[in-house]
Amino acid sequence: MQKLIIFSTIGAILLITCFFVLNQNKEELIIFHAGSLTKPFDDLEKEFEKRNNIDVKREIAGSIATIRKITELGKKADIIASADYTLIEDMMYPEYANFCIKFAKNKIVIAYTNKSAYKDEINEKNWYEILKRDGIRFGFSNPNDDPCGYRSLMVIQLAEIYYKNDKIFDELIEKNSGIKSMERNGKFIIEVPPTAELNINTDKIAMRSAEIDLMATLETGDIDYLFIYRSVAYQHRYSGVYFIELPEEIDLSNPSFVDVYSKVVVNFSTGKIIEAKPIVYGITIPLNAQNKDDAINFLILLLNETGQKIFEENGQIPIVPAICDNIENLPIQLRKYVVEK
Amino acid sequence: MKERILIYMSILGGVAVIFIALPIINVFASVGIDGIIEAMKDKNAINAIIVSFEAAFFATLLSLIFGVPLAYILARKDFPGKSLIESIIDLPVIIPHTVAGIALLMIFGSNGLIGAPLEEFGVKIVDSMLGITIAMMFVSMPFLINYAREGFEAVDPRLEYIAMSLGATKTKAIFSITLPLSIRSIFVGSLMTWARAISEFGAVVVIAYFPLTAPSYIYSQYLQYGLKKSAPIAAFLLFICIVIFISLRIASTRWKRYDKD
Repeated sequence: MQKLIIFSTIGAILLITCFFVLNQNKEELIIFHAGSLTKPFDDLEKEFEKRNNIDVKREIAGSIATIRKITELGKKADIIASADYTLIEDMMYPEYANFCIKFAKNKIVIAYTNKSAYKDEINEKNWYEILKRDGIRFGFSNPNDDPCGYRSLMVIQLAEIYYKNDKIFDELIEKNSGIKSMERNGKFIIEVPPTAELNINTDKIAMRSAEIDLMATLETGDIDYLFIYRSVAYQHRYSGVYFIELPEEIDLSNPSFVDVYSKVVVNFSTGKIIEAKPIVYGITIPLNAQNKDDAINFLILLLNETGQKIFEENGQIPIVPAICDNIENLPIQLRKYVVEK
Repeated sequence: MKERILIYMSILGGVAVIFIALPIINVFASVGIDGIIEAMKDKNAINAIIVSFEAAFFATLLSLIFGVPLAYILARKDFPGKSLIESIIDLPVIIPHTVAGIALLMIFGSNGLIGAPLEEFGVKIVDSMLGITIAMMFVSMPFLINYAREGFEAVDPRLEYIAMSLGATKTKAIFSITLPLSIRSIFVGSLMTWARAISEFGAVVVIAYFPLTAPSYIYSQYLQYGLKKSAPIAAFLLFICIVIFISLRIASTRWKRYDKD
C-alpha cells in the first residue's frame, strides 16, 4: 500500500509538472505569415524582442494556408500577414478581420543559379525563348495554393501582350499542364483546374505547394529557372541565387500599370476569380486576437522607419505611408502610420 | 485485493486509449457516412490513395530486401562500430521531415551523387513514383529493421547451432529455423513500415509533389476548399488503413504459435 502511495504521488507530480511546463503563460505574440515574409519578419522579431519582453512566435505557410488556419482550423493568432492583401478581404471579412493594411510591394522575377542551363544567355528580352528550350525545367508554385503561383501565370500571360507574341503562354504553360488561357473581349482568362487535374509535364515544369518549397529544387539544380518574388531571390543572393528582373509592364510591381495588368484574369475551379493586380502585401489583427496590445506595438515597429529599413534591406519595397481600407476599425495608435483608401 | 495495481494500470491505460482513439473517432463523427461515401466517389482521391498505397508497398518491399539481412547481422553479431550503425538507422525517425526531403533531394536530384548518373540512364526520381518511394523508404525503413532485429534476437541462437549440428547449412538453419520463428516480428515490422510510409508528407512533397499522394491531395483540397472537402477524404483514407491494419493484425496472430514463449 505504501508503495502504491509513493508511486501515485510521483505520478501525480510528474503529470502536474508536465502540465505546467507545457502550459507556461509567458507573454507571447503569435504571428501567422506568408512564406515570402520569412526573412524580414525574422529581423522584425529580433528588433521587437530587443525592445519588449515578449516571446514572438511565428508560423510560416503559404498565404492561403495561413488564413485557413484561422478561418477553418479555429487557431488563434495576433497578426496575419498575407502576400496578397485581397485574400484577407475575401477570406477573412467580416467574421475574422475588419481592416487590412497594405504595407509592402514586391515583383515577380526569374531566379537561377550557376547550374542553370543558358544562364549566360538569358535576359529580360529572351527569357521565354530560353524557358521553351528542350531540357530546360522551370518552376512556379501551385496557383491553387499560393499567390506566387497564380501571379507567375499572370506574368507569363502578360508577356504575350508585352512582347506581342501570342505563343508564349501556349508553349510554356498550356502545352505542359492542364492550365488553359483564352482571350475574350480583350481580356485574357486563365483557367486553372483543381490540383489533381493539373496534369503537369514534370519534365518541363516543377510545381510545389508554396514558392519557398521550390527554392531547394533550384539550389540543387533540379530546376533551371524559378518564378519567384524579387525579395526572396534577393535574400538568397549569398547562396548563389541570381535573378533577372522583368519589364514593369509584366512583373506586377508598378501600380501605374494597373490597367495593363488587369487585362489578365485567373479563374479557379472553386469559382474564385482573381484579376491581375500589382503585388501588395496585407496585414491585419484578427478580431479574435488574444494579445491585441502587442500586436499593435509590432505593427508600429513594422510601419515606422525601423520596419521600412528592414524591408528595404531584404529586397522588398515598403509602401510609405501604408494604406488602410476601413480606417475606422483600425486601432487608434496605428492611424498616424497609414493613409486611408 | 492483491491485484489492485492492475486496476490502476487499467485506468491509466484507458486514458492512453482514449487519447489516441478520440480524435480519430471524432473525424468519423464529424464527417459521417455520407461524407465518406462522397469521398469514395471522388476519382482523384481514389487515384491519390492508390499512388500512396503503391509507393508504400514498394518502399516496404525494398526495406524488406535490404533491411532484414541487416537486422539479422545486428541481432547476431558484435562488431566494432555496431552502435554507430544502430544510431544511423534510427536517424530518419529523428530528422524533421522537410530536412529529410531536402537531404534526399541533394543526393537523388538531377545533380545529386546518385540522381545525376541515374538521369543519364533516363531514370527520373524528382516528381516521380520512384521519388515518392525513396522518400517513404527513407523515413520508414528504421521500423522494419528494428522490429526484425527484435524478432531475431528473440530466437535463441542455439536453435540454429542444433540445426547445424544435425547437418543443416547456415543458410538452411536461418531459413528453416530463425526466419519462421521471427516471421511475426518481420510481418508486424512490415506493417508499421507500410503505415509510416503512407503517412509521410513532409519528405515526399519536397522530392515529389506529383504524382499526388493521398496526404498531398488532402492538403491541396484543404487549401482550395477548406476542411469541408478535405476531412471526408482524410476519413476515407483512415477507414481503409484501419481495415487493412486490423485484418492483417488478426491474420498475423496465427503465427503467434511460432513465438518463443
